[in-house]
Amino acid sequence: MENAQLISLSRQIALQRQMDVVANNMANINTTGFKMEQILFEDYEMPLANGGGISKEPSLAFVQDWATVRDFSPGAITQTGNPLDVAIEGDGFLVVDTPQGERWTKAGSLQISNTGMLVTLQGDPVMGENGPVVFGPDDTSFVIDANGSVLVDGASKAKLRVVEFENTHELTPIGTNLYSGGEPNPAVNTRIIQGSIERSNVSGVVEMAEMIRVSRAYQTLTSIMQRQDDIRRSAVQRLGDLNA
Amino acid sequence: MKALYIASTGMSAQERNVEVISNNIANMRTTGFKRMRAEFQDLLYQSYRRAGSQTSDQGTIVPVGIEIGSGVKTAATPRIMSQGSVTPTEKELDLAVRGEGFFTIQLPDGRTAYTRDGSFERDAQGQLVNVDGYPVLPGIVIPDGASSVAISADGMVEAFLTENSAPTQLGQIQLARFVNKAGLESIGDNLFVETGSSGAPQVGLPNSDGMGNLLQGYLELSNVNAVTEIADLIAAQRAYEMNARVISGADEMLSATSQLR
Repeated sequence: MENAQLISLSRQIALQRQMDVVANNMANINTTGFKMEQILFEDYEMPLANGGGISKEPSLAFVQDWATVRDFSPGAITQTGNPLDVAIEGDGFLVVDTPQGERWTKAGSLQISNTGMLVTLQGDPVMGENGPVVFGPDDTSFVIDANGSVLVDGASKAKLRVVEFENTHELTPIGTNLYSGGEPNPAVNTRIIQGSIERSNVSGVVEMAEMIRVSRAYQTLTSIMQRQDDIRRSAVQRLGDLNA
Repeated sequence: MKALYIASTGMSAQERNVEVISNNIANMRTTGFKRMRAEFQDLLYQSYRRAGSQTSDQGTIVPVGIEIGSGVKTAATPRIMSQGSVTPTEKELDLAVRGEGFFTIQLPDGRTAYTRDGSFERDAQGQLVNVDGYPVLPGIVIPDGASSVAISADGMVEAFLTENSAPTQLGQIQLARFVNKAGLESIGDNLFVETGSSGAPQVGLPNSDGMGNLLQGYLELSNVNAVTEIADLIAAQRAYEMNARVISGADEMLSATSQLR
């Protein structure tokens, strides 16, 4: 009898989690290089204790969330005119040397540190092919070409290390626009665009529709649970009535 | 349900974004103003099911885990130090820098400030000062009775004094540049001061070491682009509204729960 309620409950818990994912996508709609997440569900079949005989009971399937999958499709590339902004067009990631080890990022809004090193907004160095990219005090204007080569006054200074992953699902987001894990390969299918940044690929309309769907599904389940409860209540009342 | 709090981080981030944009628009006509941009980063992720953990004795593993983010934060508001366009003013003590350098200003408290705003004046002693009356370094005094002050591209200040027929050199304006000029701290009044992240100033003369040259009778306008700012404002406003909708959506879910008997 309680099965209907428990199944509804499993769906409600999953929907709450889905709402969290929608909210996180929406909160990051203006985050540079952010990639939207989707949550996937699977059913969980309840094993039935039927003693090996022919069961007339239908099998029960509960809902459980199974994975969050990140959609690495490109975000819109917008021009900023800032030479320290780079957009990464294609499958590539920049390599960031954090105290915890190498991490990958799609957010190309870079800065120069007080020592002239090319760093992220967190201050972690962005790696070139031969270690961090360091500018001298007299390097006034620099150009980053499509291959990631950093040119100062026409002379090559360094080359940004750009990596690609065969399976982007192995990447784990760790916040501050960084990912960890995966097996980096040198990029082949990537172009660097200086003076632009890649916006997040979150679509407001899609997320809004998803949110409405989640919210309504949750309400529907609530009313199903309500009805189940009513049935049970009336059963208890009728059966418990001595005059029946 | 975290959605409420996640969406509220989104709303406060967009609020910050609108603040930055409105400051840019407010300073559209401020001499030497450099626009700023709010940069966001995602917050930590909570892992409900870790990718790579084992699912059976045969060594099969979870290919993709469940990670739920916890919202967004404002990471930085870097200044975009690109050159603003220059406009003629025909005022002889108006200067614009074309290049990397900053004018150096002596603050009353003894510190040195840096500015791109070259609208200078003479004070009662004839000293070259900025609009707040702070001396421009290295102190240049334009004596009483001097006429047709000329400032060359490399900062040499010359004027005709009454008794001379040839111009007299009064001093040379110096500029300063920084390894990381976006790391300068803004203290208002179009002034910046050095910080640990900007690095120490390298003081030099105009036209040398990439300092840039001076233009007399011109001022540098702000580098704010109205079209970009308005487009960003619209995007920020919509993002704010959508985050607010997520909050009310989450609220509807919660109220559905609380109406269960």
